[in-house]
Amino acid sequence: MTQSISFSDLSIGDEFPSITVEVTQDVIDLAALAHLDFNPVHTDIDWAERAQVFGTPKTVAHGMFTMSGMASLVTRHWRDRGAVVVGIEAKLTRPVPVGSSVTTTGRIKELHPRRPGEHIVVVGVEAIDQDGHTVGIGDVRVRLAS
Amino acid sequence: MSTAERLSEQPLTRRQREFEWDFTKGVEAYECWDEIVVGESAEAQNTFEVRVEDILAFNRSCLETDAASNDPDDPVPHPLFLVMVTFYCIGTGIGSWIRTPGARNPGQRIEMFEDFRPGEVITATITHHDKWIRRDKHYMMDLVELHNQSGVLKAHWYVQLLLPPTRELMAQFADA
Repeated sequence: MTQSISFSDLSIGDEFPSITVEVTQDVIDLAALAHLDFNPVHTDIDWAERAQVFGTPKTVAHGMFTMSGMASLVTRHWRDRGAVVVGIEAKLTRPVPVGSSVTTTGRIKELHPRRPGEHIVVVGVEAIDQDGHTVGIGDVRVRLAS
Repeated sequence: MSTAERLSEQPLTRRQREFEWDFTKGVEAYECWDEIVVGESAEAQNTFEVRVEDILAFNRSCLETDAASNDPDDPVPHPLFLVMVTFYCIGTGIGSWIRTPGARNPGQRIEMFEDFRPGEVITATITHHDKWIRRDKHYMMDLVELHNQSGVLKAHWYVQLLLPPTRELMAQFADA
């Protein structure tokens, strides 16, 4: 068992290892099936080309996929160390067309000392595409076991 | 290759096989921004019995490769597993505007109180929380509250989208 995170060891600005995802149509299809969100802007290549909802002829990734990456940034590094994601709030600022590469980064933004087992950490997260544009920005709220 | 043929090449759960994959079908029955009454609230169309295969499918879509996420008997659900639960529960009933072709996602707010566990039966209460116009865009927001069979609040989600505001525009997107 990996050692639990100790709230007292954390500091504002501490960084998480980033996550990069290549957004293929296969990745989008998996998300559509998992979310049960079959909006044609995600899954119907011909429809997306005709409708151009986001001003691109390409299908786009689900916004919830971008947000799932924000949560994963925290869970992949902290979940087996006693951390639980208890909230997420994000703004999705640009579409993510198929073929994009999205990198999610995060750092500790707020520390909320409570009783042991109830301490809260807010991780500020940002998702950036291959051109350096921010596609999503938000906060992941995490409760620590110790 | 059609969209359905392509999606069929993925490993599918029973729920995924049974769910409608074409959101342009039946759009005339979806709720429309200019007809929605803020404050209306009702139980969602469907209940969701949590199955191991649902959690595994969701975790796979988040590209999780760790052992806990892929445990074939007791996988730990990804924090956003409630997305699957919500889309399933809403179906084509109250909250059906979330299926609207032409909709855009400006961002979301979610709170999770307890992990979903296999065997739980989840019901969703949907409340039309707000709708507004800003910079010529039409925003819609519902509050989705998810409870298990014992009445425990598992999570809530302020679902928000920018919508085509009229049936005419909805139909134009559906027929694009």
